[in-house]
Amino acid sequence: MTEPVTTMPSPFRMDYTYVAGTGRTAFLRGLSERRLIARRCADCGQVYLPPPEFCSRCLTELEAPFELDGRGVISTFCVVNFPFPGQRIDPPYVVAHIQPHGAGTRPMHLVREVKPGQVHIGMEVEPVWVADDDLDTSLLSIRHFRPAPEGGADA
Amino acid sequence: MRDVAVVAFAQSPCQAANRRDDMAGILLPVIREAVDAAGIGRDEIDFVASGSHDFYEGRTFSYIDSLDAVGAWPPISESHVESDAAWALAEAWSWLQLGEGDIALVYGIGRGSLPADLDQVMPAQLDPYFLAPLAPHRDAIAGLQAHAAIGAGLTSEQGMAEVVSRCLASALDNPHAQRSERVDVARLLDAPYVSSPLREHDVAPIGDAAAVVVLAADDAARRLAERPAWLRGVDHRMDTHYPGVRDLTESLSTRRAASRAAEFAGFLPSDVDVAELHTEYSHQEAILAAALGLNGAELNASGGPLAGRPVTATGLIRIGEAARRIFDGRADRALAHATNGQALQQNLVCLLEGEG
Repeated sequence: MTEPVTTMPSPFRMDYTYVAGTGRTAFLRGLSERRLIARRCADCGQVYLPPPEFCSRCLTELEAPFELDGRGVISTFCVVNFPFPGQRIDPPYVVAHIQPHGAGTRPMHLVREVKPGQVHIGMEVEPVWVADDDLDTSLLSIRHFRPAPEGGADA
Repeated sequence: MRDVAVVAFAQSPCQAANRRDDMAGILLPVIREAVDAAGIGRDEIDFVASGSHDFYEGRTFSYIDSLDAVGAWPPISESHVESDAAWALAEAWSWLQLGEGDIALVYGIGRGSLPADLDQVMPAQLDPYFLAPLAPHRDAIAGLQAHAAIGAGLTSEQGMAEVVSRCLASALDNPHAQRSERVDVARLLDAPYVSSPLREHDVAPIGDAAAVVVLAADDAARRLAERPAWLRGVDHRMDTHYPGVRDLTESLSTRRAASRAAEFAGFLPSDVDVAELHTEYSHQEAILAAALGLNGAELNASGGPLAGRPVTATGLIRIGEAARRIFDGRADRALAHATNGQALQQNLVCLLEGEG
């Protein structure tokens, strides 16, 4: 009997343009300058980080962009314990939702410079930015978050 | 059956590429325009259905970005088709038939400009083993169909150029058209081929835009529109996926969808005053007109897709344009056609009617 065919190469490559829109463009440009840009909805008070152009609850244009210092608290987190293809950090490591002070939405990022077992919900953290040469219009301009003193320097 | 009508339609201008706005940014002004035209508030919308396609956007679940323009807060009843939004309209029509609500908002957002090279993307809709590895050019299969249509005596290069010339002239009155001009057939025939016998103008220009249709049932429709465009019949059918199995010169799925829509509607495509056909290529007008049995209807008075093809919004725009001609009394009966896939593989037919 003829050996059945079970594989066939059919490679695809597709290149795309990403259109960030005016709202998220301001955020991404900010990241390349070590600035976290947020915007508030005048109607409901929600503060978006990253900010789109419109409030997704009220459908009204958000107010002028303003800057947050990026300090905040961990609202939830998990410890990644398993290896997977493409992983850039050796497990175990912590991935968290960060609630930046002054923001109503929670960006996700790594929490490092602390043992995973010591991370807890409500922990005060601050962003650690990459070196000047590595800054880009990307969330990777923040290398990770790390524990910060309770209350912060401006408290 | 409940009586369901198109009560409002809006679209953004067809652009070759919009590099300023994200999905929600393109869509939100169009939703506002349609909702304002219907005179309703967001909280009166019972169901939302949309159409878009990840392969054009280059990311998974790309349509969730567009939900920011709908306002999924508080949570809404919502559905999405990975397809032209005309199929989302068919779903919304069915949903309204179930009697779960009275008002549905349907939108399509298509951004054909995001793929850096559509020749990389379009083969992905083909059979992955026997066709995709050949990596046919984006217009190659349409070229096969056009040649076959000419061979069958349905059209000619001259006839195709006449369709283009007529559509581009009609589009001069369409503020949303991407392409419009008064152009001689002779000049069109001087242009080089892109996929013989197709020239560039025979290929509907792909681009970016959003379209929104508001549907309402029974008394809600009568309340929201002075002259609702009643969807008397809606049906969609598909042909087999492998183009080599089909006779590309006829569209059996269009014929069957039209026949079923006519059973619902109580009138035939030959009875309509205007028809909006989803012609991705000029030669398809002859194939569709034959399959539908149109008889004297004005074809693509908006300019049709040959004047602007925002991917996955183009079919819904056909329904909106047909409805618009009923709203303003220019037509009493209209037909709208939408297609998906290569060489008219899937087809949807709506028969619309005004009252009084």
